Amino acid sequence: MTPDQTNRERTAPGALAAEEAVTRLEDVQRVTEATLAYLDLDDLLTELLDRVTDILDADTAAVLLVEDGGRTLAARAAKGLEEEVERRFRLPVGHGFAGRIALTREPLVIGDLERSRIKPVNPLFQEKGVRALLGVPLVVEGEVIGVLHVGTLTPREFQEGDVELLQLVADRVALSIERSRLMVQGQIAETLQRSLLPRKLPRVPGLRMAARYLPAAEQSAIGGDWYDVIELDSPCIGFVIGDVAGHGMAAATFMGQLRSAIGAYALDTMSPAEVLTKVASFSDRMHSRMATVIYATLNLTTWEVRFARAGHPYPLLLRADGSREYLTDVGGPPIGTGGRQAYEEQAITLSPGETLLLYTDGLIERRGRQLAEGEAALVEVAAGAPDEPELMCEAVTARLTEDNPPADDIAVLVVQTVGLHELLDVEVPAEPRQLATIRQLIRRWVEANGGGDDDCAAFAIAVSEACANAIEHAYGPQRAMIEVRASLVDGVAAVSIGDWGTWRQPRGGNRGRGIPIMREFMDDVSIERAERGTTVNLRRRLREER
Amino acid sequence: MPELARLSVESKGDVELARVAGEVDASNVDDLSQRLLASVSNQARGLVIDLRETSYIDSSGISLIFDAAARLRNRRQELRLVVTPRSFVGEVLAAVSMEQSVAIDPALDEALRALGDSDSDSESA
Repeated sequence: MTPDQTNRERTAPGALAAEEAVTRLEDVQRVTEATLAYLDLDDLLTELLDRVTDILDADTAAVLLVEDGGRTLAARAAKGLEEEVERRFRLPVGHGFAGRIALTREPLVIGDLERSRIKPVNPLFQEKGVRALLGVPLVVEGEVIGVLHVGTLTPREFQEGDVELLQLVADRVALSIERSRLMVQGQIAETLQRSLLPRKLPRVPGLRMAARYLPAAEQSAIGGDWYDVIELDSPCIGFVIGDVAGHGMAAATFMGQLRSAIGAYALDTMSPAEVLTKVASFSDRMHSRMATVIYATLNLTTWEVRFARAGHPYPLLLRADGSREYLTDVGGPPIGTGGRQAYEEQAITLSPGETLLLYTDGLIERRGRQLAEGEAALVEVAAGAPDEPELMCEAVTARLTEDNPPADDIAVLVVQTVGLHELLDVEVPAEPRQLATIRQLIRRWVEANGGGDDDCAAFAIAVSEACANAIEHAYGPQRAMIEVRASLVDGVAAVSIGDWGTWRQPRGGNRGRGIPIMREFMDDVSIERAERGTTVNLRRRLREER
Repeated sequence: MPELARLSVESKGDVELARVAGEVDASNVDDLSQRLLASVSNQARGLVIDLRETSYIDSSGISLIFDAAARLRNRRQELRLVVTPRSFVGEVLAAVSMEQSVAIDPALDEALRALGDSDSDSESA
């Protein structure tokens, strides 16, 4: 017998009630402390069951949680009945002692099992000699998530106060379990989320790209924002930014499905509007969640961007002349809102050194702030941010989240055309289909540096020939890349084309003609053959300087 | 996806006329070569490749032309090219002295006439 009980017996009835109330409060306090002290659910449950058996002077205690969408109860933690958990005891909701509580959502008392009409399913009760049981449902937001019960090895008439106390404990336990589940789900959602984002962005000649994903500060708010870069048939590339409504595992999972669907449709049709129209019809068929998304294509030879927008925040275009504008011409409802929807597309052309900034609403939305204010804040921050895409991503996300941690996920994708007078320094896959892109890139570079049409054409063919040579060189599977570097010194443009293959003597008539062609169009051609590979150096004074 | 180069072939009497528009490089030259040679029947007197709409050609395209000329020669057929003088393609052809192996005309009717005149059997073109 505990000292408390001794006290209760000795005190007068009125004082007893007051005394009991204080004790009850202290008991609940002890339980609450435990729920705060332990973050790990198993540790928490072990501690809680200890305290509950202690407070209620019971011999056994157990927590069973609802699984299988409400059909089954499974033992999760136990004291005095540890085998229950070890044996992974399960019973259908509606059966046995705990099953009945889960079904009725009412506390249940059995004073003496041997004389009760309710026959427990769990053989452990008999094995352990449990005689009396008191159980209450674990309820979160009106949903039964499990059952908490205590038992004694002797018959016992549990009192109303015992039931109330256990129910109080059960409510705390239920909240802790829910919190812990959300936290675990949040962790899984974040892991899933991150696994579904591109591990690294592809290297695309003529483009610089950077992206960021920032999970929401609250783990339960994580999931659903994504970005993607899709390598389409040369010379095009696709960009996606999107945001699935809701959070957690379900949002992250649907995001994964959407990402695949867009990737598949993007290979099917070149029209961004058509891609979104198909994706919308796909998600309607799936009865899926709502999502906002922008899908854009960029043609690397014409530098035309075409995009369609489904309920997503406007793309921000940072022009080379310093102007900033949101692209607001086309829109449409989010996908997954039902009904047939045909999206429209807008086209813009990027000049060298221009930036397209795509983002999700978490970047600009703040509680108690108008959307327009958020948009204005982004323009201001982007205008003051460094040009380099990685640094720009960093600056934009840091500046816009510095006041308060993000309440929602944030995804940002920055796509930038290489700058006007910038040193051309790219690495491209050694594949014939890249040649057209390389030529376009070098023409653009020569033009940007003051070269005339003849200079552009001359460098286009000389660089393309050098690259074709590199592609033909005996390339193993190891590093099939070509490096193209360009610089301009005192009006002389110099381009070097490096590879990691071994130089082969020109074979047949074909390659034999590549070098004379290079020499025809360049002032100077030199070929360095080294251990690590071959480098072709091309030089030509630009004829038409402006 | 638009192709890098477009090829259209039509018969002008007993001469095949192939128009190549766009860019010719290592990525599409094999495909182009196959379609080009398949278009020339044994009955044809010759082939005219019109390169006036060709904006780019590299050494692989040059090889295609040399190769086609050699094959046609074996079949006793003639190849002629139509190239705008002082164009980029013209410069590339000059760089490899194409004119020493294959006849180059500045205009289409000259090329067709030259092929027609080379044999007096038919005036139907």
